[in-house]
Order: sequence, then C-alpha cells, then structure tokens
Amino acid sequence: MYKTITIKAGDGGWGGPLTITATEKCHKILSVTGGGIHPVAQKIADMTGGEALDGFKTTAPDEEVLVAVVDCGGTARCGVYPKKGIFTVNLMPVGQAGPLAQFITPEIYVSAVTEKNIFESDYKGDAASTKPAAADEPKSKDRAKEEIAAANSGKKEGIIVKIGKGVGNVVSKFFQAGRETIEMIIKNVLPFMAFTSTLLGIISASGLGNVIAKTISPLCSTLPGMLGISFVCALPFLSPILGPGAVIAQVVGTLLGAQFALGNIPPQYALPALFAIDAQVGADFVPVGLSLGESEPQTIEMGVPAVLFSRIVTGPLAVLIAFAFSIGMY
Amino acid sequence: MEIISNAANGFIKLFQEGGTTFMGWVTGIIPLVVCLMTAVNSVIKLIGEERVERFAQKLTRFAVLRYTLLPIIAVLFLGNPMCYTFGRFVDEKYKPAYYDSCVSFVHPVTGLFPHANPGELFVYTGISAGITKLGLSIGGLAVRYFIVGVIVILIRGLLTEQIYFRMTGKASK
Repeated sequence: MYKTITIKAGDGGWGGPLTITATEKCHKILSVTGGGIHPVAQKIADMTGGEALDGFKTTAPDEEVLVAVVDCGGTARCGVYPKKGIFTVNLMPVGQAGPLAQFITPEIYVSAVTEKNIFESDYKGDAASTKPAAADEPKSKDRAKEEIAAANSGKKEGIIVKIGKGVGNVVSKFFQAGRETIEMIIKNVLPFMAFTSTLLGIISASGLGNVIAKTISPLCSTLPGMLGISFVCALPFLSPILGPGAVIAQVVGTLLGAQFALGNIPPQYALPALFAIDAQVGADFVPVGLSLGESEPQTIEMGVPAVLFSRIVTGPLAVLIAFAFSIGMY
Repeated sequence: MEIISNAANGFIKLFQEGGTTFMGWVTGIIPLVVCLMTAVNSVIKLIGEERVERFAQKLTRFAVLRYTLLPIIAVLFLGNPMCYTFGRFVDEKYKPAYYDSCVSFVHPVTGLFPHANPGELFVYTGISAGITKLGLSIGGLAVRYFIVGVIVILIRGLLTEQIYFRMTGKASK
C-alpha cells in the first residue's frame, strides 16, 4: 500500500515542503549518496511503501524514480535531478546553487533533510500524486522571437531590417553571456572564495599554517611523495568520499598554493601537484554522470567499479606524465 | 584589561588575514575570469548547441577522438556537469570510459577556459595564485596543464575501456 508523505526542509535548509505519493509505476527512491542506502532514503521508502535503491550500484529509468536523495554540496548533483523533473532531497543545506540552479525550485527540491523532517501526510490531492512535469522553462527569448517571426511571416524583409536583426541577435547573445557569467560568479565563485579565504586566514594567522607547511610541503616537493598522494586519493573506497564538488581538491590546492608562494615547494612541482591532488576527480559522480549520458542500468553497475579501479593506475600515471612535462618550466 | 584587548586583537587578526586574501582574489582573479567567461559564452551561443552536437556525433567512431576531441568539445561547450550528456553519442560499452575521460578534463580545462567549470576553479587557481605570488608567469602552467590533461584523459579512456571489457566479459560467463 502506497502512502503520501510530506518532506520539509531541515535546519538551514531550503525549498519544499514536498508532498509525495508513490505509485505502482513510480515508487523507486534513488540514494545517490556516495554508496549505500542513506537512512533518509530508507525512511522515505519505508513510509511511502516504495523501494530504496543504491544509486552507486544500480539505477532505474527516470520515469520510475520518485525521489532522488543526494548529498550534494552545491555543484552538480543537486541540479541534475530537478532538471529531469525528479523530486530531489538534498541532505546538505544547499539552496539554489550550481550551474543548474535555475531548475532548483521549492516545488521539486528540499534540502538539509534529516529523518526528523519526514512526515506522514493526510493530504491526498491529485496534484501531489503525479510527478511534476519536467521543469517548465519560462518562455524564453528565443521562443518569443519565434512567435513574433511567425506573426511577421509573409511580410517581406528589407536588407536593412535583416542587418538590424542580425546585429540585434548577436548583441543580445553577448549580453546574455555576460548575464550568465555574472550569475556564475555570484552563485559559485564568490561563495567559494569567501569560504576558502576565511579558512585560509584562520589557518595562517593561527599558526596552523606552519604545521601544514611542515607536513604537506615535504610530501609535495618530491616525486614519490606526490605519487603517494595520488595513489591514496585514487583508492576506490576513498575516492568517492573525497570527490564531492571537488571541495577537498580545491581546499588542498589553495593550501598548496600558499606553500608555493612561500617558497616551501619549488614552482616546477606545480604541474604534477595539480594531478596529485586530483586523482579522485568525479569518482563520486560516476552513476550520475553515466545516467546523464543515458547509460543502461547494467552499464552503470559495472561502469562504477571500472572507473574507480582504473584510477589506481591512471592517478599516479598522470602525476608521472605531468612531472615529465614540467621539465623546463620555471 | 590588556589580556582582553590582546585576545580581541588576535581574534580580529584571524579574519583580517582572510579579508586580505579575499580581496586579492576578487581583484586578481575575478576580472579576468569575468571577461574570458563572457567571451567564450558568447561564442558558444553564436555557434549553437545543435551544430556542436552534430559535429560531436561524428567523432565517436574513432577511439583516439572519442577520448580526446569529444570530451574536450563537450567540456568546452557544455561545461560541468552537462558535458556528460554527450555520453549518449557513444556506444553503450564505451560510456564508462567516456565518462572517466570527460570528468578528468573538467579541471585541466579551467587554466585556459574557466567558464567550463566555474564552481571548481580553485583546484587550478589555488595553486596558480601561489605561483603568481612568486612573480612567475602562469601562462606556461595553464597550457601545460591543458596538454597533460588531454594526454591523461586519452589514457584514462583507453584503460577504463579495457578494464570495463574485462569485467563485463567475466560477468557474462
């Protein structure tokens, strides 16, 4: 028997409340949380009568997925499922963020959810029992333009009108590009700068920086040290944990940058270091990335371990190649 | 009294240091990134996604292009995370390898084209900012990061493809 539940945003969360009903056709709860079924996903499944799936082992066709449970820090995953029109429950307190922020709306997305935020619901409206249609984009400029063009069709266009339209078209594209850029900077780049510079300031002013300098710098000033780092980052049970949002790689990159600036690590090691700290890139995102590429569930099942195992070899190998290419630089 | 004011000074100092760093980034990194990103975004809009998709579809047949040019185009034009959608152009059996190759390029690309992955700039920018502070030019680093990135994604693609074939071969027995 399928039941209706309501999921509310937790402390510091955003979006929702979502009222969700499982149906015969659409009752899978996909847990895309770094392997394993998260307790929140399990609870949603138990309460709705649906079935919880580990997104890292299997997947289901989009139309069977009722809810996706993710733990996304605000770069990719939190937007991927709303874009597909799937209810998304984020365990992290993240609002409209990332490159797909436009698809994250309170009707389809809720964040900072814990087991305490899931309630049984008496509400049995029709609207809630069906999945929302894939996020409707607001009437775009292009479409408006098409409509105008359709209305004007039949009229002959003079050459001046044509040129004018062409220029207008190009200019509007440039303007739109600028708008998107500024939005990106405000939503993604500046928040990260604020967070890392605060962190970095505390680290360096408190003297913790010296400790890090003494431990990381010697490791990153030798080839075997960097090979070691990349190998550890690529270990299949560690890489999906280190991956999300590349936050760890970015923080470590910034810390290393400070050590380069102080001269604790010679500058020619910058290139191999870039690869040493990044052997885990995307390891957390394999099932999502594959499903974006419209892979079959079987492909995802075997594809995840294939990518993770491959990294043990290619992680350190990338450092070696980068080391060879850094010769003669600086 | 002195102890308290010393403690307060120390407390403020923790954040002054951070503020200086933040200001340095805002004035040093953002102006360039804004202009570069606007330029590249406009070019992408002018070319149009459909044309890129048609071109991408033709590239999937050759292994070398499948793990170099295809992910490069996907990352440059669609950015992270939409670049993985180009996986639909490659055969089912190549999809994990394509993903591996594509995702491994989302950081090497940021040295030259920050628009492709603005949420994860600091893997590169963090380190390059340190190099800049030494008074060295980072042009060479960005170009080499890009080139090594291309080599690495080719190797990752080919190797993951082989590992995947081995695993599925075993699984079907």
